[in-house]
Amino acid sequence: MRFSLTMLGGVAVVSLLAAGCDEKLSEVAGATPNLQPTFSSIQRDIFDAPDATGRPACTRCHNPQGSRFTAGLDLTSAAYANLVGVASTEQRGRLRVNPGNPDDSYVVHKIEGASDITGARMPNGGPYLSDGQILIIRRWIALGAPNN
Amino acid sequence: MKPIRAVLLLTVLLAWAWPPSASAQARPAPPPDDPDMDFNASQPDFTLVALPTTLRLPRFKSSFRVTHRFIRPLGQGDFGSLASDFFGLDSGAQIGLEYRFGVMRGLQAGIHRTSDRTIEFFGDYNLLQQGKNAPVGLNVTASIDGTNNFRDSYTPSLGVALSRELGKHGAVYVEPMWVNNSNPLPGELSDDNDTFMVGIGGRFRVRPTVYVVGEISPRAGYTPGVNQASVAIEKRAGGHVFQLNFSNGFGTTIGQLARGGTANSDWYMGFNISRKFF
Repeated sequence: MRFSLTMLGGVAVVSLLAAGCDEKLSEVAGATPNLQPTFSSIQRDIFDAPDATGRPACTRCHNPQGSRFTAGLDLTSAAYANLVGVASTEQRGRLRVNPGNPDDSYVVHKIEGASDITGARMPNGGPYLSDGQILIIRRWIALGAPNN
Repeated sequence: MKPIRAVLLLTVLLAWAWPPSASAQARPAPPPDDPDMDFNASQPDFTLVALPTTLRLPRFKSSFRVTHRFIRPLGQGDFGSLASDFFGLDSGAQIGLEYRFGVMRGLQAGIHRTSDRTIEFFGDYNLLQQGKNAPVGLNVTASIDGTNNFRDSYTPSLGVALSRELGKHGAVYVEPMWVNNSNPLPGELSDDNDTFMVGIGGRFRVRPTVYVVGEISPRAGYTPGVNQASVAIEKRAGGHVFQLNFSNGFGTTIGQLARGGTANSDWYMGFNISRKFF
């Protein structure tokens, strides 16, 4: 019985230690290791900045002086107001970001290059966002797309 | 006789005489009568299809198992297509190799490696054996598996396996388990990181050496896919058990079971072969 208790204790300790081994978000985020599922982080690391893969900053085109091909989407200072709960200009019946529903958010379809989009996959011409970066954006939308 | 010839002769004589007595000394004493060596008709193997049983592995004895899951769903295409693919045999498989060892009486430890580069280390300790004083058998089970040859996504688990033997007609099992970090994503990207599951299964002896086996693992917490379920028929032949199984997923480690099967509409043929070395 003494051995049984010792073993049970050992198993419990090993399990508790292993419980601390969660994966790191930075490994998923790849070329943007500080990317978090928050709007401020997405603005800073995705919209405003290029990354090491050569992906351009979204605001290079999506700015108030951007060309007429940028779908009227300004991703600089007014990005949140232009995205969340706002209808797409390419497909009027769809929201750019539908809070809580990444699968029904047109922005997600655009960056994933889904077959139902109008125009090109974003960023136009690539390099595109990695699966991990898209996953983090999806998570922000799934959490209700808060302005945090 | 010259001294050197006498020494040589003595050496030869010693060499001739010494080995048998030395090997006799090294030969282990006959093991005492170990009831764990006895064949258990209700629990002929250490696993059902993927879930563990409460069968004890004798001290310093071992067992080996091959798991094989063909990756073509049986429902894909028409019967002619399936038959021409020999029921999935031509479409590749997820294969696993497992070795377990009796560390001491009631304690067994093992390693299981699957062809998706998952390695699982596991241990089972038998706390209760069904008998006059206990209506059920009880094992404590612990495991940890890691993907990418045990470099990534570590998934430890802790649980118990309760068994009730039905005479010599088989046994039924209930196995509540907590599986930590079953979700391979970081905590920031998921609501649930752990899975609680209750393995439920049974093995029923329909002929003296033929069994029908079934198991399912309902889950709570992180529950992608569907609850993995399996049915099987198996034949025992001496120390071998040959099992033909049908599952709605490929999971053979506890972590893989926690991540669920593919779909309830997709069933896959597979087999397990185990061999006891005692």
